Amino acid sequence: MLGLAFAISASLTVNPLTLSVLGALSMLFVLAFRDQSPWSRSVVFYIRLAGIVIAIRLLFRIIFNLESDPANPLLVLPEVNLGLGDLVTMHLFGSISAESLQAALTDGLRLAAIILAIGMANSLANPMKLLKTTPGALYEIATAISIAINLAPQLIASLNRVRRARGLRGQSKGIKALPGLVIPVLEDTIDQSMTLAASMSARGFGRKGTQSKARLTLTRFTGLAGLVLIAVGAFLLILSPTNQVLDLSITVAGLLSTVIYIKMSALGSLRTRYLVQKFRTGDYAIYLIAALLLALAFSGVLNF
Amino acid sequence: MITLKDLSFSYLKPNGEPVTETPQLHRVNLHIAKGEFVLVCGPTGSGKSTLLKALNGLAPSFTGGQLTGAIYIDGEDLTGKEPHDFAHLVGYVNQQPEGFFVTDTVIDEIVYGSEQLGMPVKDIATRIKPIVSVLKIEHLLERPLSSLSGGEQQRVAIASALVAGQKVLLLDEPTSALDLAGAVEVLKVLKNLVKDFGITILLAEHRISRVIAEVDSVLVVHGDGSVTKGEPTKQFNDDRFAPPIIQLGVKLGWNPLAISAEEAAELWTTKNHSFEPKEVSPAGEPIVSAKNLSVNYGSLTAVAPTDLDFFGNQITAIMGENGSGKTSLCWAIQGLGNRSSGSVLLNGSDTAELAKATRLDQVAMIPQRAADLLFLHSLGEELHESDVFAEVAEGTTAALFQKLAGRIDPSIHPRDLSAGQQLAAVLSIQLAKQAKVLILDEPTRGLDYSAKRALAKALQQLKSPDRAILLATHDIEFIAEVSDRVIRLESGKVVSDASPLTELAWPSPFASQIAQITRTPELISIGQVIK
Repeated sequence: MLGLAFAISASLTVNPLTLSVLGALSMLFVLAFRDQSPWSRSVVFYIRLAGIVIAIRLLFRIIFNLESDPANPLLVLPEVNLGLGDLVTMHLFGSISAESLQAALTDGLRLAAIILAIGMANSLANPMKLLKTTPGALYEIATAISIAINLAPQLIASLNRVRRARGLRGQSKGIKALPGLVIPVLEDTIDQSMTLAASMSARGFGRKGTQSKARLTLTRFTGLAGLVLIAVGAFLLILSPTNQVLDLSITVAGLLSTVIYIKMSALGSLRTRYLVQKFRTGDYAIYLIAALLLALAFSGVLNF
Repeated sequence: MITLKDLSFSYLKPNGEPVTETPQLHRVNLHIAKGEFVLVCGPTGSGKSTLLKALNGLAPSFTGGQLTGAIYIDGEDLTGKEPHDFAHLVGYVNQQPEGFFVTDTVIDEIVYGSEQLGMPVKDIATRIKPIVSVLKIEHLLERPLSSLSGGEQQRVAIASALVAGQKVLLLDEPTSALDLAGAVEVLKVLKNLVKDFGITILLAEHRISRVIAEVDSVLVVHGDGSVTKGEPTKQFNDDRFAPPIIQLGVKLGWNPLAISAEEAAELWTTKNHSFEPKEVSPAGEPIVSAKNLSVNYGSLTAVAPTDLDFFGNQITAIMGENGSGKTSLCWAIQGLGNRSSGSVLLNGSDTAELAKATRLDQVAMIPQRAADLLFLHSLGEELHESDVFAEVAEGTTAALFQKLAGRIDPSIHPRDLSAGQQLAAVLSIQLAKQAKVLILDEPTRGLDYSAKRALAKALQQLKSPDRAILLATHDIEFIAEVSDRVIRLESGKVVSDASPLTELAWPSPFASQIAQITRTPELISIGQVIK
């Protein structure tokens, strides 16, 4: 949730300083709250990705230089004319102004801050806990996601095991290495998923509730409509803030529809929840920070 | 509680014809009473698992194939229903609990089934208490599942299969991945479940020895489609899966057969028996020497610093419970594994510093899942590739394989071989170059008694003055059968290094079952007993 707020704020901000602060904050949160679980280690990957994004952004701006003869060049490189005709001001390298570089840096930073925000969400949220906090109506989707996330480490473990075993045997030159490696690993993964599915089914997952078929269809339709409306509303809101009243009303309609969907499907559901996770003060604090951040971003304060 | 009428099951080819001529199960009629504790046994691949899975709908829903006939459980007709329609009546536990867990902490896992069944929260809370106390897992409720030992995990799996008030418990080889202590714990709680809750239990097992005295009846899946059920003493006419205690009774002509160690011990003393001394090969030249070898993972000591020599002509068993460091020691000796200190010398050079090709020639290792080493499309291709890679004459590996496993059609796919045959294939591939050291990590996992006997014979044939054979396992009966020397590890430390004739004989705490029954010094394996 907080990750989402960070990402949205970052996408609306154009001030490099604010962006850096946002990125750093994401990382601080990770360092403060992460535990020893395997997915908490994925943050390293996100940091690297963010760094690479900034570097590429800068590099591209230097190579594909769109300016010709800026007022105060910072860097003067020999210009390579591509000879695309007089109308196209496209050339490689050439003089680059500080403003141009700063714009590129800001763009890169913005992307990096979004990546770091997603990374934060991913490394702090235990996918299994996701199952417990999702409303009943989204249970099936959440189950699918958490299983997919959990299969990844298992895939890596069996890949390592098979590679080690292969190293014990060695192979002659004519033999292709890949099928030998991929087949047992895939087999492992499929076996594992089948076992898990069998286990869930054997314990009652997928039992039908008391809802009629027509009701189920209506429920699903409401859910789908809600999601589409939210997506369209959010898209318009971010892209073209010209008709904010319309955009906002679409989003709100979507949200309403989703809430109705969740209530409707919860009514007919068979499942009970033992030990539902209660909100703690910390959780409220996170929602508060997220809301504050969003409000600031929308009002434009973050851009000074 | 359970009634089967004319139940048949066969796997089908894509064109709808059955894969084999004889179905896995053929017109099975059975009745199992409430509170009955039934042991299900039979040779590997005979259809034990299929029978259990048919009883909760996993077959054919998750296995494919075709099921006919009728299934009644607790008076409900469940023929043709999905597994989740069985869930309120039948709990199911398989051999690898970690792959079967859906959540990540003990308490979540235990309540998962009852949540899916829509049990009111109040009822869940009242059901949990007695179940976790019988299973002795009260102290584990808040722990993550991954931090539990195998035995603890299996008990959590049993609890989660029963919390919604299921009346039938199906267990598919629940102890096969556990060491002795873990297996004994699990069996103890099963007995209590029958006694305290009147649960009907069907238990499929390979390690029958310690279970057989506890059950009410034995159900044998013969592999030709037939299933018979009866008294424990009358069901073992087939020595492919008869445990040592039954084999001993059959050999000595006991009638009726003894099924508990106490009964057998009594029968044994009624007569004077003679036995052959066990042949233990004397140590040859030292082949490989570990000096000050240790393995640590972070702050965890897997193998404490130790000096060990392994000799030619001998099979050395490395024995110990799960997590005692057997696998780490094997990999450290092989050379690729982690080492924190020390060296392992083979012909004067350290196995960790050998060139890759030289190490492959000289040190043959068979990891826990031997089938990982097979990757081609037919047995013939595997054996041929081995000749090419080892640069030996065409047919060398095939000849070795035939010596170990008999003649087998080379066009068969390696995955269609039995576990024992796969092991023989990997053994012959790894030994094509006459390696000086052979290391096997838990080779008897998943093998029935006849496959174990075949492996024991194969290992005896592979002994030679210039080869040291190392065997890491917790299978005491197999060690008694095959080893010349026993090293025992306890949390990474070598606590004893002795002949099997003292380590596994009466009255050692690690005595083999035959030693426990006969209480005769130096008598440890059934092969020694004379009719």
